[in-house]
Amino acid sequence: MADIKLAFLIQRPPYKSENPKLGLTHAISYQTVEILLEDGETVTPTVCVVGEGVLGCVKDQKAMELYGITSTEMHVKSCLLVDLDVLVCKEDLARFGISEDMMPDAEDMGADKTIQVVPYAEIQKVIENANHVLFF
Amino acid sequence: MAVLTIGIFSSLVGSMTPDFMFKLSEAALEKGHKVNIWVSGNAVSLIKNHQKHLKDYSTGEKPLAALIQKGVEVCTCEACTLARGIQKPDAVEGVQWNAMHWYLAKVHGSDRVLHMGGE
Amino acid sequence: MKLAVFVSDFKLDVDTLDRLKADKLGIILVQNGVYHATLKENGAASSLLKKSATFYALKDDIETRGLGSAAVDGSVKTVSYGDIVDLIFNDYDKIAWL
Repeated sequence: MADIKLAFLIQRPPYKSENPKLGLTHAISYQTVEILLEDGETVTPTVCVVGEGVLGCVKDQKAMELYGITSTEMHVKSCLLVDLDVLVCKEDLARFGISEDMMPDAEDMGADKTIQVVPYAEIQKVIENANHVLFF
Repeated sequence: MAVLTIGIFSSLVGSMTPDFMFKLSEAALEKGHKVNIWVSGNAVSLIKNHQKHLKDYSTGEKPLAALIQKGVEVCTCEACTLARGIQKPDAVEGVQWNAMHWYLAKVHGSDRVLHMGGE
Repeated sequence: MKLAVFVSDFKLDVDTLDRLKADKLGIILVQNGVYHATLKENGAASSLLKKSATFYALKDDIETRGLGSAAVDGSVKTVSYGDIVDLIFNDYDKIAWL
């Protein structure tokens, strides 16, 4: 199979666990995977943020200023910059009171993509259509 | 023969997930399957050599070396490992070092992927 | 979709499992997840076992916790590591670890 679709499910809140960050950085690494694959082979990740994972999709995070580490926000923006689809669960945003204007975009970095707020049913479709599912 | 790629992210001590991973890998090998293991996050403590196997703690060195001997490809996330102060000479012999795209490349060629996230 | 989900905790702090849907769902209880198969909290079996799924529990992890097959709920099949390998290659086409 030439293209392998991967569903990256980010389900944990940011910072205490390294997992949400690792989910995003592993997804971003699709950009360079071709050096290890045969011609015509590709990997296509879709990042799906669900549950408490949506807490990482809030802008103006100050992790760099306060702890000297890259923020989850920056990783989300990097995903957008490398043209990954980033789907965030609409129901979970509503549950935690996060409105769309509280979420980051990567326009300042020159990204064309923006976060897509979708009902969970859309994320279920991504899971169904993926070859493999990775929960972070 | 089918291919199973495992991503392990849980710490060796304080989690028994690596113990599960070792036993599952052994079982898969016994059934003739190929196994790849990607080590990332807190799991990188698995690849440290000279682990002292105190009976109160799980150990990673011997089971990992045994799997490598049997042909399992094991690769550690270079950034995650160096960030924890483990240098290449400190690693179990045969462990590969690479970036996260190694995992995605192995996933590409796998029949099944068991991604064991968590701490 | 034929999905096998490994449940490794007793008290899940995420609701991911409740949402996952599959034409064929297998739930493999491992590590502290095996308590779902063995404990009757306040006399009641785990609500997880009410899900429409086929349940398996890892024998090694049951016995590690001082429990035996007699403690395992009748809806749960006890399996070995080798059985799990066969399940994930033969009975399901995707795997998730929660």
